[in-house]
Amino acid sequence: MPSDETKERIVKVVELGRTLVHYGWIPMIIYIGYTRSTPQPMFIKLISPLA
Amino acid sequence: MASSVFPSEKLGLNDPSPSLSQPHKTSYLSAISPLTGLFGRFSEWRNSLDLPNPGTVENLQKEVKLTHLTNFMFDGARADLTKGLSVNPAFQISHSFTLGSQVATPSYNFGAVYATSNLLLQGSVDHEGNVNARMNQGWSETCITKMQAQLSHQAGHSMLQLEQDYQGRDYSLNAKAVNPSPTDLTGIYIGSYFQSVTKNLALGFETLHQRQTPEMTELATSYLAKYTSTDRNWIATAQLQPSGILQTTYWQKLSEKVDVAADLQVIAAPQRRDAIATLGAKYDLRMATFRAQLDSTGKVSALLEQRFAPSFAFLVSGEIDHFKNAAKVGVGVMIESSTLTPEEMGMPPQI
Repeated sequence: MPSDETKERIVKVVELGRTLVHYGWIPMIIYIGYTRSTPQPMFIKLISPLA
Repeated sequence: MASSVFPSEKLGLNDPSPSLSQPHKTSYLSAISPLTGLFGRFSEWRNSLDLPNPGTVENLQKEVKLTHLTNFMFDGARADLTKGLSVNPAFQISHSFTLGSQVATPSYNFGAVYATSNLLLQGSVDHEGNVNARMNQGWSETCITKMQAQLSHQAGHSMLQLEQDYQGRDYSLNAKAVNPSPTDLTGIYIGSYFQSVTKNLALGFETLHQRQTPEMTELATSYLAKYTSTDRNWIATAQLQPSGILQTTYWQKLSEKVDVAADLQVIAAPQRRDAIATLGAKYDLRMATFRAQLDSTGKVSALLEQRFAPSFAFLVSGEIDHFKNAAKVGVGVMIESSTLTPEEMGMPPQI
């Protein structure tokens, strides 16, 4: 069983990872999709519902 | 047939690193050769039965769920705008708006999907900042790792699910962990095994291990059965849960365009005895899909999805609850647009 200090550190790391995924997941997909699409789309078309 | 494959199979199964333990391999193998012989004959016999893969436990009732409109029902107004930006790899952006529902508040949802042949990344975010994330990574044809997460600013609303799926020749294995905590291993763990017994019948079980705190654990096993007709035109399934819930379904393809499905759920728990039966039909027409459903709680519902053009669909749904004297109506549009020319999408040029 890990010590309390290690546990606290693990909880902190998990919390940080959660926040990172929360804010970074959609931008990550858009970045991956934008860079790997063929042909590369215009950026405005990605964001706006009307364009 | 198997005799030529057999020696290599033996090595791979019993010795994780054959190249390292080369010198004493022969003595080690000869000691357990009766066992490996038995195993070899067993797997040979198993292969000779030529049983089909039973499908996953998650998809046990897939046909019924696709025919019934419980998962497709909506009320109020909705609009879905989907934009395809690339075909290979697939990259799609969607905006969906819902308004005027009796049960849900108006909402806006932005989604993005990126998919290659073995990787799927999907994410959606609503106007309150709740993120849904999903990732599937296929390692081979039969082995898939899945991750699913719901992230919310409210404490206690976040969820993480890790899943490993393996589909063997005549069986499926699946392991899931919901909200696993690395420090004290609390969370919900689900394991399932589904095995074809004959060409038509498959039996399996699903075990749920719940660890709310390290001291408080709970184990529950449910049993599953699925019978598929030889021509795959009808499927009957049953699922028995230990809390006293029995769910049986029947699905049949009547013709190319018509599917019907029935679902009977019997609850025989000590504190509650109840049964719900649902009957549904789905018509797949050239430019439209129509679903109708009737259940024993007095609800009659229908959903029409009419495609006016390949990229424009119109949805109308309605539900009348005769016992409660309530009704729901929904209208929706689905617009798919693409930034690509038909040639870029791989369609033959129209002349």
